[in-house]
Amino acid sequence: MSPTSEQRLPEREESLWMLTVSPTIWAGHFLASYVTAAVWCAKVQDSSSSLWPARIAIAIYTVTALIGIVVTGWIGLQRARVEPDAVQDFQDTPLGRHRFLGFATLLLSVLSGVATLFVAAVILFMETCE
Amino acid sequence: MSARDDNPTRDDAAPSPERQREQEERLLAAWKTPTGWRYWSAVNNSEVGMWYTAASCLFFLFGGILALLMRVQLAVPGNDFLTADRYNQIFTMHGSVMMFLFAVPIFEAFSIMVLPEMLGARDLPFPRLSAYGFYSFVIGGIFVCGSVFFDAAPKGGWFMYPPLTTSYQPGIGADIWLLGLSFIEVASIAAAVELIVGVLKCRPPGMRIHLIPLYSWYILVVAGMILFAFPPLIAGDILLEMERAFDWPFFDPSRGGDPVLWQHLFWIFGHPEVYIVFLPSVALMAMIVPTFARTPIVGYSWVVLAAVGTGFLSFGLWVHHMFTVGLPGVTIGLFSAASQAVAIPTGVQLFCFLATLLAGRVINSVPIMFTFAGLATFIIGGLTGVMVAVAPFDFQAHDTYFVVGHLHYVLVGGTIFPIVAGAYYYFPLITGKKLSDRLGRIAFWLLLIGFNITFLPMHWTGLTGMPRRVFTYPANAGYDLLNMVSTVGAFLLAAGFVVVVWDIVRPKGNQPYSERNPWNAGTLEWLAEMPDRPWGIRSIPIIESRYPLWDQSDFARDVDEGRFYLPDAEEGLRETLVTSVIDARPMQCLRVPGPTFLTFWSAAFTGGMFIFATYHWWWPAILSGLAALATILRWLWTGTAWIPEKDEKDVGLGVTLPIYVSGPQAVGWWAMFITMLADMTAFIALVFGYFFYWTIHEDFPPEPYPGPGALWPSCGAVLLMSAWGLTVFAKRWNRDARAGAFYAAATSAVVACLAGGAALVQGPLAAGLDPTTHVYPAIVWVLIGWTALHVALGILMLLYCMARRFAGKMTARHDADITNVTLYWHFLALTVVITVGVIVGFPLVA
Amino acid sequence: MLGGCAGEQSALDPAGRGAEQIAALFWWMLGGAVVIWCIVVGLAIYAIRIAPGPHDDRQMRLWVIGGGAVIPTLVLTVLLIYGLSMLPGLVRAAPEGSLQVDVVGLQWWWQVRYPASESVKLANEIRIPVGEPVQFNLTSADVIHSFWIPALGGKVDMVPGRETRLTLEPTRTGRFRGVCAEYCGASHALMAFDVVVMERAAFDEWLAAQQEPAKEPQGPLEVRGREVFLRRGCGACHAVRGTRADGVIGPDLTHVGGRASLGAGTLENSPDAFRKWIAHTSRTKPAVRMPDFDMIPEADMRALAAYLESLQ
Repeated sequence: MSPTSEQRLPEREESLWMLTVSPTIWAGHFLASYVTAAVWCAKVQDSSSSLWPARIAIAIYTVTALIGIVVTGWIGLQRARVEPDAVQDFQDTPLGRHRFLGFATLLLSVLSGVATLFVAAVILFMETCE
Repeated sequence: MSARDDNPTRDDAAPSPERQREQEERLLAAWKTPTGWRYWSAVNNSEVGMWYTAASCLFFLFGGILALLMRVQLAVPGNDFLTADRYNQIFTMHGSVMMFLFAVPIFEAFSIMVLPEMLGARDLPFPRLSAYGFYSFVIGGIFVCGSVFFDAAPKGGWFMYPPLTTSYQPGIGADIWLLGLSFIEVASIAAAVELIVGVLKCRPPGMRIHLIPLYSWYILVVAGMILFAFPPLIAGDILLEMERAFDWPFFDPSRGGDPVLWQHLFWIFGHPEVYIVFLPSVALMAMIVPTFARTPIVGYSWVVLAAVGTGFLSFGLWVHHMFTVGLPGVTIGLFSAASQAVAIPTGVQLFCFLATLLAGRVINSVPIMFTFAGLATFIIGGLTGVMVAVAPFDFQAHDTYFVVGHLHYVLVGGTIFPIVAGAYYYFPLITGKKLSDRLGRIAFWLLLIGFNITFLPMHWTGLTGMPRRVFTYPANAGYDLLNMVSTVGAFLLAAGFVVVVWDIVRPKGNQPYSERNPWNAGTLEWLAEMPDRPWGIRSIPIIESRYPLWDQSDFARDVDEGRFYLPDAEEGLRETLVTSVIDARPMQCLRVPGPTFLTFWSAAFTGGMFIFATYHWWWPAILSGLAALATILRWLWTGTAWIPEKDEKDVGLGVTLPIYVSGPQAVGWWAMFITMLADMTAFIALVFGYFFYWTIHEDFPPEPYPGPGALWPSCGAVLLMSAWGLTVFAKRWNRDARAGAFYAAATSAVVACLAGGAALVQGPLAAGLDPTTHVYPAIVWVLIGWTALHVALGILMLLYCMARRFAGKMTARHDADITNVTLYWHFLALTVVITVGVIVGFPLVA
Repeated sequence: MLGGCAGEQSALDPAGRGAEQIAALFWWMLGGAVVIWCIVVGLAIYAIRIAPGPHDDRQMRLWVIGGGAVIPTLVLTVLLIYGLSMLPGLVRAAPEGSLQVDVVGLQWWWQVRYPASESVKLANEIRIPVGEPVQFNLTSADVIHSFWIPALGGKVDMVPGRETRLTLEPTRTGRFRGVCAEYCGASHALMAFDVVVMERAAFDEWLAAQQEPAKEPQGPLEVRGREVFLRRGCGACHAVRGTRADGVIGPDLTHVGGRASLGAGTLENSPDAFRKWIAHTSRTKPAVRMPDFDMIPEADMRALAAYLESLQ
């Protein structure tokens, strides 16, 4: 006998926290970039000194963050596309809920990725601590 | 086969009419609203929500009158309608009242009133907490507003920057602001706890997470934001008041402090605050638009994206209020980029509403008119917001009337107009009667036109050079006419509000009750009868769609006839369902407390503590604080963790659920967890302060100051960690029914706390650290003090658990008290580790 | 409309490089904002009034949400690049060798120093040469103030315990007005200063003149005025180089007669203004530190005003 949709997609394996992963990565990236730049500029004596070390650090953070965000988004995409023959996504079923959580995760990952890139763009323009 | 193979469906046979009547009588008896003067002891969400809403609106009107006074003063240059001092008090109060006494409370109030109805719940999970929050809010609000009448109002701006407010304003105004508002902030955190648990755990069965009304999504996000946004302000308030009252130099540069720290702490609160204010109003739009477009919302997931995304991103913007402080360009750039990024999710939700309007067949009505006004106005505000997010432009626009224009466009457009729309939409739900269509339309035009005449010119006024917070301006500087126009508009705007207020308060005795579900909406709250019955909902339904009233056949009939869960109140108690987070499977039959005056007295004594402290009347403050503690303990003792007469109850449809739950499934545990998240955030904000001072000093800890030593704090840490361990064991031994071991462990834990707390304090004391001499000793003392205070609370909690066990109110099986206390202790252990790690460990590596 | 922008205190009538760039940015952003607003509100009106009928759901989703997410992202990216590329130039220090002006903000006036010319101590008025970058080094002696000359460029706060910096480069000569742009107490609204941008040669002349000690009073009224000044103890707070008045609590008055305004931009300079100011400071400027000198008899007051006016 084929498993019910509840058995295939049990509630206990779902998590609302999944939605928050990509935005949290964005927040972590932002905080790390800000703290790195601020502490670097605070502790370096001369305000016209170069920002290179901080810029490189931020570039590394950005790559790391984007990897995390892309992976999360990919997981979300897979969940959103599960059992593509089933019809509408707000159907009152475990499938509906599973796809919703996946799709919302995907959307939040795309947003977090764009926001991460926005923030990282700063290193292309700022050269010193002034 | 239906996908609902795991849930029962409704009863196919309705109970007989006599049985229905009996059920209704028992429900009415359990949920009866008290009468006479006892009315004020009600804790039900309908009453508390209504009082809260009315109080918020009264504060709004007060703030509005203050604004009119400001506009009269600014109508002509060199005006002497108000003295400079008066004007400065009034503009400070206008901002503070609007932001703290209206904008945040109104959404809390409204949610308390309507969220349970939207979620098919009988009440919120902690009704007494809501009542406490309400009374705290009213007492604090009256105290703060009253200061205006005694020429003692705060006058540092709503943002109260030091050193102006620490060293140059010796009067009582700043203390009133700090203490009065701290009190209110605590009430907001209480509301946040209530709403998070309400949205996640008190839903109707079958309302899976992707079916919840969008309003609930927004409230969940906003309540979460409150947990992380308000505590930094509370931390800052503590530092500011310590400097004012005890001369601890946090913001005094001559002793190592820095005014910029306040700015960080304030704006880490202040920016998310405006989204906390804005998102719930957008949430109202999300409920109104589908109803009047007569079609389900288009892009539900996108709206969730917008709410969650905006909530997160809004925490990365705060320095855009500090673009001109002289921070490095790279910092400015980072925050400018993030500030622009937040426009993306903000815009997405508006487009979802547009798509919904386009997808449906829109009926014109007062709510939709105000929603449209809100949209059109907010978009202007959003666009000027993007402008000021671009840092170079902000260098010109910052602290000018351009920003005043921007902020009113987003606040009035994004918050006020949707609230008025919500008032017209939800009024029948609250009172059973509709507001007047004709008056609504008159108000619409007055408000829309008056608002734009007032605030559109301000963008110009600012860019032609008028700064903010000025009690007058010179003639012929280029903005005389603009100011006069703004003043005229302000009175038009006021007239519009007068019309709305009149519509709300006019006697409606002769007006017939509205028909049920007057707007033909699809969401659960519109099951309410006109006028509504006190039980919240007749029986708790099974949900199969986002718009059950549209999609589920015979839905209202089934609910009314009690064909769903909890159609009865056999024991005469107030009951509602607790369900699982994702799929809303029924998990517990939750009994919630009924009317009491304890919450009022707790709030009054807590208020007394803050108010007496403002005047430095220390003994009355301490006594009041002790009375507050006593009342709260009595409230906890009598109102929480009741041991039920039976383990389980049949809630209908063949389902039996436990009544008493402890541990991570319990709503009380969640409340503790959520509260501690907020508490830890405030603590982390203080730790941030410590490291902030490190960044601005070459030498930190500075040369002449020894640290607090390594010995005493480490001893303290060891003792306190043992206390933590003992608490964990106490819980286990209680569970194992080993009473002797439980009492031994708990008592030892208390002793360890006392010794550990003393050791912690001995550290800086023995090292001779005087907090008034430099910011380094001051911040060390603050961290120690915070930890010590929490240790004291920990001791109290352990004593409480021992007393509960002794009195038979806590047993091996019914151990919610010790479970929640152990959770508190986990957070306290973390606090101890961080405090000692920072004050002992950091000087070693720095 | 353009006439409405003009003014000595208008950011939209730029006279400095920073202000020009920012004004251009503003006009572009304003244009874009108007277009976007019209499109979105137009769509809303269309949806509500003009085409009240059900539209294809899927199409709606694609167009409006895609348009609501994708197009704003693109527009914001362009704006981000525009803004970020402008940022370094606006926050950069002035090149080596540029004119330096030190300004200290106090409740509610401005102390101005030209460090290259040691003895030049001024208040409430700044003169700078046109066409060169000038670096302002800013701090505060009490609360947070903010130094803003809208016609020349953006503002920077003056924070006690920190030194902040603003680089401005005027592009045309003229008289402008600066204001304090951070709420700093009772008379924040009355804390302004005059800015005069001059040709380099004229500026050098002026600076040299400022280095001279106070002019000797010429007529009997002015001589009497100096005597009143010294007898009434004004020298305890104010300095007039060349006399024994050397107070540093209040503004330096060595060349006060030549300033455009008194009381930090509150009153236009004239002998009447001097009288009004000295006799009733608190009426002109609430909570000001300088006490009212309304006890000075009329004749003495006239002399005092004439003396101060003569300190060109």
